[in-house]
Amino acid sequence: MRAYSYLAEVLADKYDVDEDKIRPEATLADLGLDSLMVVEFLFDVEDEFNIEVPDDRAEFETLDEAATLIDELIEAKGD
Amino acid sequence: MGRRVFITGLGLIAPHGEDPVSIFDRIYRGDSAVQLVRSGTADFGSDLPLATVDFTAKDRIPKTQQLFMARASQMAVVAAEGALQSSGLFGVGQEGAEDGEIGVYMGCGLGGAEILQEGYRTYFVRQSRRGRPSTVPMIMASGPASHISMRFGLRGPTHTYSIACASSTVAIGEAFRAIRDGYLDTALSGGAEAMLNDGSIAAWERLGVLANSHIDGPEASSRPFDLERTGFVLGEGAVLLVLEAESALQERTVDPIAEIIGYGVSSDAFSLTEPHAAGQEAAMRSAITDADIEREEVQYVNAHATGTPSGDPIEIEAIKNVFENHASNLAVSSTKSVHGHLVGASGALETAISAIALQKGRIPPTANLTNPDPSCDLDCVPGYGREVPELTVAVSNSFAFGGSNATLVLRKV
Repeated sequence: MRAYSYLAEVLADKYDVDEDKIRPEATLADLGLDSLMVVEFLFDVEDEFNIEVPDDRAEFETLDEAATLIDELIEAKGD
Repeated sequence: MGRRVFITGLGLIAPHGEDPVSIFDRIYRGDSAVQLVRSGTADFGSDLPLATVDFTAKDRIPKTQQLFMARASQMAVVAAEGALQSSGLFGVGQEGAEDGEIGVYMGCGLGGAEILQEGYRTYFVRQSRRGRPSTVPMIMASGPASHISMRFGLRGPTHTYSIACASSTVAIGEAFRAIRDGYLDTALSGGAEAMLNDGSIAAWERLGVLANSHIDGPEASSRPFDLERTGFVLGEGAVLLVLEAESALQERTVDPIAEIIGYGVSSDAFSLTEPHAAGQEAAMRSAITDADIEREEVQYVNAHATGTPSGDPIEIEAIKNVFENHASNLAVSSTKSVHGHLVGASGALETAISAIALQKGRIPPTANLTNPDPSCDLDCVPGYGREVPELTVAVSNSFAFGGSNATLVLRKV
């Protein structure tokens, strides 16, 4: 779960999401991110971990699923 | 004749600050907001006189909204809030559908210039194709208008006029017409420009139209009609006016600042960068005819005059041709001498200044005019403003690169 804490931090700091709402089962829509904010958020994450989220894998729902996907991509990159 | 249209609110984010009254007072005293500013880096940049705005969106716009707004949009939204508040309309868009029929008519030249620069930096300098996903919606020249509409729930037309230096004058003129002709009761109209990023400034420098710092100091660099003028001083800012139909004023208590009575436009069909007297004359004549007044009723012209060696005498020639014998009775000043050239926001700032001038009976000066160019031989109000209690009709000119000319006529309420 390397990615989860980073996702939570960016959501709170940059997207001003209430920390109480940031939970593994929350979706980005629940947290008030519209579609443009979601792509920008993914961009932040990709930049941080130097990965690329392929379009066909960006269909996660919850924060937990997003973190799992990103962890997998980090691992696949072999850091 | 259509409906009468009044300016009922002003919101400014300008080189002289944000309070319309104190901004006007400084301009009236000929107090310059121009400073020497370093753009670029220590070894790859330049020091230029500029009219920058001391502005940050921090604590003024929600953080998540700021993220997707270029500087021009941020300034526009804050200026719009000020305009709505001063007219007593703040919050109106959120209340009911009927109130949502407020239009947004904005002028903007380069949109999110600094965001475009950042995108190119990512691509060419960092050699990455992975720029910010929000780059495109942030660089649009229509961004400021869209953000104003979204933020205040204004559901009428949201239009942007990108006509270089005439952008916001045309925006105000078109809003004026829409209200006069009954398409709309209320509009927020003006302009926003923020292109004082390094790449844009370097491009302007290469065009050879910018002023050098004057020997008396950078604050003396913008000197329209003066023999020592060397070009214009770029500025930035956002200026919003609330325009309302006469009928709206009967429904609540509000003191209008001034009335807009005429608007005229023309094109030179001549040159991309050189001004042309005939086109300027056509815009002024058209505006005066539109206002249904005699040209002899005009007392003050807020000139476009940017301070370039070639441009200022052409506007003087155009004014003489339009007003003939009355030209020598006119006061003609360029307030760009103290606030610089805000390009897409310049016409809105100068319209706001002209409106306050009418309200106060005070004509603002052309600062730094110490050695007048003989070819600019009208009364250009050198140095310090002038009390003219009987001031009733003012004209504001904006003449753009590309040969688009726009003139507004305002009357004291």
